[in-house]
Amino acid sequence: MKLWQKIFLSSLALIIVAINVISITLLNNSNRLLLEREQTHAINEHEYFTASFSNAVIYAKLADDKIALTPSEIRMIASGIVEGSGRTRDSAVYDSTGRLIAVNGMEKILPEISLNGFIDGIDSTGENYNVSVYGTDDGYKLVIGSALSAEGSDYRILTASDISEIYAMKKKQTDFVRKVSVISAGAISLILLITVLIMLSPLGRLNVYTKAIAEGNYRIRIRPRGSREFRELAGNMNVMADAVQNHAARLEQIAEDRQTFIANLSHEMKTPLTSILGFADILRIKKQVSDSERVEYAGVIVEETKRLRSLSGKLMGIVAMNGTEIEKKPVKLQDVINETKTALVPLLAKREINLECQSQEITISADEELFKSLLYNIIENAVKASPKGETVILNAAMYEGDAVITVTDHGIGMTPEVVQKAFEPFFMADKSRSRKAGGAGLGLALCRKIASLHSAKLEISSQPNEGTTVFITVPGEECL
Amino acid sequence: MINILIIEDDENIAKMITATLSMVDYNGTCRYDGPSGAEEALKGNYDLILLDIMLPGMNGFEVMEAIKSCGTPVIFLTAMQEVSDKVKGLRLGAEDYIVKPFEALELLARIDVVLRRSNKTQDIITFGDLSVDIGRHEITLRGEHVQLTPKEFDVIVYFLQHQNIAVSREQLLSSVWGFEFGGESRTVDIHVQQVRRKLGLKDCLITIPKLGYRLESRDSV
Repeated sequence: MKLWQKIFLSSLALIIVAINVISITLLNNSNRLLLEREQTHAINEHEYFTASFSNAVIYAKLADDKIALTPSEIRMIASGIVEGSGRTRDSAVYDSTGRLIAVNGMEKILPEISLNGFIDGIDSTGENYNVSVYGTDDGYKLVIGSALSAEGSDYRILTASDISEIYAMKKKQTDFVRKVSVISAGAISLILLITVLIMLSPLGRLNVYTKAIAEGNYRIRIRPRGSREFRELAGNMNVMADAVQNHAARLEQIAEDRQTFIANLSHEMKTPLTSILGFADILRIKKQVSDSERVEYAGVIVEETKRLRSLSGKLMGIVAMNGTEIEKKPVKLQDVINETKTALVPLLAKREINLECQSQEITISADEELFKSLLYNIIENAVKASPKGETVILNAAMYEGDAVITVTDHGIGMTPEVVQKAFEPFFMADKSRSRKAGGAGLGLALCRKIASLHSAKLEISSQPNEGTTVFITVPGEECL
Repeated sequence: MINILIIEDDENIAKMITATLSMVDYNGTCRYDGPSGAEEALKGNYDLILLDIMLPGMNGFEVMEAIKSCGTPVIFLTAMQEVSDKVKGLRLGAEDYIVKPFEALELLARIDVVLRRSNKTQDIITFGDLSVDIGRHEITLRGEHVQLTPKEFDVIVYFLQHQNIAVSREQLLSSVWGFEFGGESRTVDIHVQQVRRKLGLKDCLITIPKLGYRLESRDSV
């Protein structure tokens, strides 16, 4: 069953029950009041009847000047009273033995009255009345019974008044209430249905929205509308959709980066392979190869094979660093710098570059080999970018609590666009120059990886034709 | 002389292609970026252009658009293996594409197909006393007609087009009989023997162990 149906049906049932309970209670109450009034009235008349009966007895005694009346005389009087009041009231009189001595209009219900012990139940002291309602074919009768003692014996006097009207009215009112409750229930159910549907309509929209998200449409957002709960829910779902969209975008970006990386890698591998395969094939199938040709062809093969070796080395470096925990130890920056400088001596000599190093006494927590490799790559880039005879300056100092290493050259520099792309794997600002220098475009990508493993920041500031400064910022927490 | 323009940014690959072309006496000219390559293609009179796709300045597709007017046939050299790239290249009007890395003979075979299609190859090839008219399907030895079966004719033409180059049986099979031919290298041997016998090429068309055959020009013997 749907929610709106549940809400609708349960509310409707409650409302109908409430209407009926209230109206039935009201009806019964008013009916009871009517009945009580009628009863008071009937009791008054009964008293009047009883009084007239005793008056008649006294009057008869006085008129005949007797001390006592015989039962037959009393019967005569009773019949007279009963007959006399017959137009307005039904009545019956019993003597002390329970014999009916006079009756008018009550013949039909007397058997039932005598059967259920009404007469026997009459209080013989005459102080209380026995009151009961009897239904007949003609309608309802309110019967009042009391005891009267006259001439030494007890008489039971019953009077009955017609209260059918009250019952007819009750029935009429019940019918009316029933009709009204049916009509009002119909009207209420209609209003309720519309209200429930309107209140729950945001659910439908949320449903459509959720489905759209499930189908992969992460860009849509729902407008928070409806009651507060729905607005809140819609807001939260929008937050969820934001998160899903961000995650999906990030995953897409990762997949795309990987795709680009593999495409670039495949290109970078195929280029040297093409030269190698081509020249090797020429050497294999050509009949006569002159010495100079052999040197040239084999030279290219060696050169390109070295390029592949460097590529695979760098690649292994990047891959190996993925997912492996590095081992950090306290490392003195001066030592790392000095060792890196030693490793760079051949390159510096070949390029005729002077490397000036200044360093404060700083100890950081780092993987020594990786950190050396980071410095080596960055200084190597600086050297390659510098014209012969230039100086590359390395400076290591504490700055605002962080250890900052700067490598500055006065070489060819880079445009802002190049700086932006510089860390991308396989990006080369000048392909042919980089390749001649044996680069594969992976150096800075490797550096960035190493830096991130040390929570260090790597930034480049560069001006074309003026030079480049690379900042390696090791956060204070990593400094010892 | 066939002139071929090589537009390829990697100098070593360009050098390798030039060396490959020189084996069959084609003349190769190199350009190392898109704009200068396109300029050279429009200016010079080339029979064929070998065009790399990843080029500085302009990529291969852009160069292709730019040089469409000169009508020179183009073969793409590509490291990309995406079908969409091949389709793009061919749709732009390229004659063929070669995926890097490639063997020297594969490159030459593709070049020959394209040159033949554009009628840039020599119709008459002479080799010592031998004269072969490819168009008329005739072969004369010292002025006399020699009867060859069509396949034998194709075999000698292939050798003449690849003089001084070692040709493997597989290459002969795929070039003369076609890739779908399920024959054995034995078939090649029989045809080569027939050609040798009928044309008196016993000294020139030599067998190279493990490799195949090579037609050696007489002057270099």
